[in-house]
Amino acid sequence: MSFSSFLVEFITWFVFCYFIALNLGYLSLNLFSLRSLRRKGQEMFMAELPRAYSGLEPPISILVPAYNEEATIAASIRSMLQLSYAEFEIVIINDGSKDDTLEVLKREFALLPFPEAYRRQIPTKEVRQVYRSTRYPNVRVIDKLNGGKADSLNAGINISRYPLFCGVDADSILQRDSLAKVTEPFLRDPTVVAAGGTVRVANGCQVSGGFLTKVGLPTNVWALFQVVEYLRAFLFGRLGWSAMNGMLIISGAFGVFRKDAVVLAGGYRRDTIGEDMELVVRMHRLLRARRQPYRIEFVPDPVCWTEAPEDFRTLKNQRIRWQRGLAESLNANWGLVFSRNGGVPGWVAFPFMLLFEWLGPLIELGGYAFMIWAFFTGMISWEAFGAFLFVAVGMGILLSASGLLLEEMSFHIYPRGKQLAMLGLVVILENFGYRQLNSWWRLTGLWRWLVQKESTWGAMKRKGISQPDAPK
Amino acid sequence: MAIVQQSDSFVTVALWTGAVALGLTLLLAIQIVLMRVSLRRRERREAQVLARWRPLLNQIVVGERPSLPALAPRERLPFLRLWVHLQGSLRGDATEALNAMARGLGVDALARAMLARGAREERLLAALVLGHLRDREAWPQLLPLAELSDSALSLTALWALVRVDPVAAADYLTPLFIEREDWALSHVAGILKEAAAPTAAVIGRLLPTLPQERLPRALRIAEALRVPLPGAVLAGALNSEQVPVVIAGLRGVMTPETIAEVRALLAHEDWQVRVQAARALGRIGAREDVPRLVALLADPQWWVRYRAAQALRELPALSRADLEAVRAGLTDRYAADMLQQVLAEEENA
Repeated sequence: MSFSSFLVEFITWFVFCYFIALNLGYLSLNLFSLRSLRRKGQEMFMAELPRAYSGLEPPISILVPAYNEEATIAASIRSMLQLSYAEFEIVIINDGSKDDTLEVLKREFALLPFPEAYRRQIPTKEVRQVYRSTRYPNVRVIDKLNGGKADSLNAGINISRYPLFCGVDADSILQRDSLAKVTEPFLRDPTVVAAGGTVRVANGCQVSGGFLTKVGLPTNVWALFQVVEYLRAFLFGRLGWSAMNGMLIISGAFGVFRKDAVVLAGGYRRDTIGEDMELVVRMHRLLRARRQPYRIEFVPDPVCWTEAPEDFRTLKNQRIRWQRGLAESLNANWGLVFSRNGGVPGWVAFPFMLLFEWLGPLIELGGYAFMIWAFFTGMISWEAFGAFLFVAVGMGILLSASGLLLEEMSFHIYPRGKQLAMLGLVVILENFGYRQLNSWWRLTGLWRWLVQKESTWGAMKRKGISQPDAPK
Repeated sequence: MAIVQQSDSFVTVALWTGAVALGLTLLLAIQIVLMRVSLRRRERREAQVLARWRPLLNQIVVGERPSLPALAPRERLPFLRLWVHLQGSLRGDATEALNAMARGLGVDALARAMLARGAREERLLAALVLGHLRDREAWPQLLPLAELSDSALSLTALWALVRVDPVAAADYLTPLFIEREDWALSHVAGILKEAAAPTAAVIGRLLPTLPQERLPRALRIAEALRVPLPGAVLAGALNSEQVPVVIAGLRGVMTPETIAEVRALLAHEDWQVRVQAARALGRIGAREDVPRLVALLADPQWWVRYRAAQALRELPALSRADLEAVRAGLTDRYAADMLQQVLAEEENA
C-alpha cells in the first residue's frame, strides 16, 4: 500500500470513527437522561396536587439586564411580577441604554431614587443611581454606565438582597411556576450551587399578559429547525450531564445560582461572549480545586420561552457567537481538564466538549470536505462516499429522533398529532444542509476566536411573539 | 483503483452502521407513535372518569348523598387523582364527607394494596390518599416507606404518617428528621407544621441529649416550628464553640433571658455570628443596646452593618427622630449610608 493510499484509508476511518464516537457519546447522554425523565414523569402528577409539604423556599433575586429595551421592558417586568413564588425581588439593570428604557421604567413603575448602601463585591462599571419602585416594593432599578451583559449581572449581584439569584433575559417568557420548580434542587440538597431550566422556542406560540397561552410551532423554517435543536440540547444534552454532575452550561436565558458561590468565583467575566457558560465552567474548576462538595443541576421542566432568530443573518451571527463563547469558556479554564480533583467535569465533560463541541465543526466539515475531495479525485469509491453519507445522516436523524422521544416521554409540549408529525419531518430534513450549515457557522466562530476578531452581541432582529391580548 | 478496493471493508462497516442507525430510528419512530396513541387513549379514559365522577364528588362536597356506582378497575388511578386534588383544596366537613365516600368505595383498601405492590407513581398517590384518609391501618406500611432513600416517596409517606397520628409520628419521626440531612429543612418544617405541638415536646426533650453536630439542624427545625427553647439549652448553644450551633442558637433567641450571651456574641470573630447576634438583639434588645449596635454599623461586613441598622430600627425604645439623630452623629460614611438606607426602606414599606 502506498503512503498516499494509506493516508486516505486512515483519514477515511478516522472521520468515520469520529462521527460514530460523537453520536454514541450523545446517545449515551440520552440513556443517562432517560432515568431522570422517567422519575420526573412519575412525580409530575404531584405538581398538580396539593403539595405534601409547604415550601419555605429561599428568596430569589431576579436579575434582568436591559439594554435598549424600551419597547418590551415594562411588559416583561409586569409578567415577572406575576410569577408564583413566595418571596422574590426584581432587579433591572439599565446598562447605559441609549433609548428611553429608563424613562419607561420610571413612568411605569413610579421609580424614585433610593439611597442603597450596596456592597461592591464584584467590580463593575459606575452605578449612576439606584431606584426603587413606589408601586412594587420588590422592584429596583440600577442605572449604570454601559458595560455589557456580564457587567450588568455583576452589578445586579452586588445590589441583590437574596441568597439565590436568577439571571433572566429581558425578552424571556417564564412559566408562572418556573421559579418554584427551579429552586427544588436547592431545597433538596444544600450543596447545590446552580440550577438551570429548559429553554424552548417561543416562535409560533401565543403570549398574553406576558405569559404563554398557546403552544405552537413556528412557520418559519429556520425557527422550526431550532425547535428540534433546543429539544436535543436541553433534554438530553444537559439532563444527561446533570445526572453525572458534569453540566458545563446553564443557559443565560434562565439559570439560578447561589450568590455566595458566584461571588467566591469572582462573578461573571466581562471579557467573554459566553459569560454564562464560562461562569459555570469556572465554578466547577474552583470548587473542584477547593474539594468542596457541590452540585450543578438541570431541571427539565421549568420552562423559559425565548424568541429564536428567524432570518439567516441573525441566526448565523448567534451561532458564531455561541461557538466563540464556548471556545473562550474552555480556553479560560484549562485548569479543570484532567486535573487531580477534576471528577466528571474535568475528566469527562470538559474533554467531551473539547472533542465534540469545540473541535467538532472542524472535524465534521473537514471530514465532509475530505470525503468529497477523495470521491471526486477517485481516491475512494462512490460506494464508500455514499456509505459515509448514509452513516452521517442516519446517525444525525437517530440523535434528533431520540430527542423527540424524550420530549414525548416527558412533557408533550406539542400536543397535536400534526405538530408531532412536523417535528418528525424536521428531524429528517435538518440533516440535509441545516446541520452542515450550522457546523460552518461554528467553524467561523472558532476561526474568529483564534484570530481574536472582535465580535459583539449586536442587535438581534426580532419579529415579536404573537400577543393578541397585549396592550397596544 | 487499488485505493478504491481498499475501501471495501469501510463500505461494509459503514453500511452496517448506517443500517443499525436507520433501524433504531424506525424503532424510535414507532415507539413515539405508540406513546402518543397510548397518551391519547389515557386522556380519553381520564376525561370519561372525570365526567362520571366529578359531578358526584361535587354533590358530596356540598353535603348531598348521591347513590354511588362501583369504582371500576380502569377508573381507579384517575379517580384517585381527582379525589386527592379535591381534598387538597377543601377543608372541614367537605373533606370528611369525601373520606366517608372513599371508604364506602373501598378506596382505603385499594390504596393500601397500591402501597404494597404498586409502581412508584402508584405508591406516591397511595401515600397521599392514605394521608388524607388518616388511615391507621396503613401505619405499618407507611413506616418503612418513610425510611427509603427516595426523597419524594419518603417525604410523602412522612406527611401521611403525620396526618394519621401526629403524636406518634412526632415521637418516631423527629429524631429521623434531625438525622436525615438529605431532607430539605423547609420540607421537613412544612410536614411537621401539622404536628407542631408534639414535635416541640420531642425536640425539647431531645435537645439536651443531642451531640453538637446534630444541634444546628435540630435548632433550625425548632426555629421553623417556633418552638420556644428551654433557657438552659439556648444558653448552652450560645456558649458552644461550634459556630453553626451558635448561629442556630441565636436564631432561636426570642426572649431577653439570654441577652448577656447575645451581647457578648456581637464581638464574635465570625461575621455570620455577628449578623445573627445583631438580629437577635433587634428582637430582645433595649435602649442601652444602641451604642453596641451603632458600633456594629461600622463593621467591615455589609450584612453585619445591614442587620445592625435593622436592629436599631426594631428596638422598641427608639423613635424615628432618635434614629435620625443617631445617623446625624455618625462619622463613619458606611455606617451613615447603611442607616440611611434602612430608614428609606422603612419609609417605602
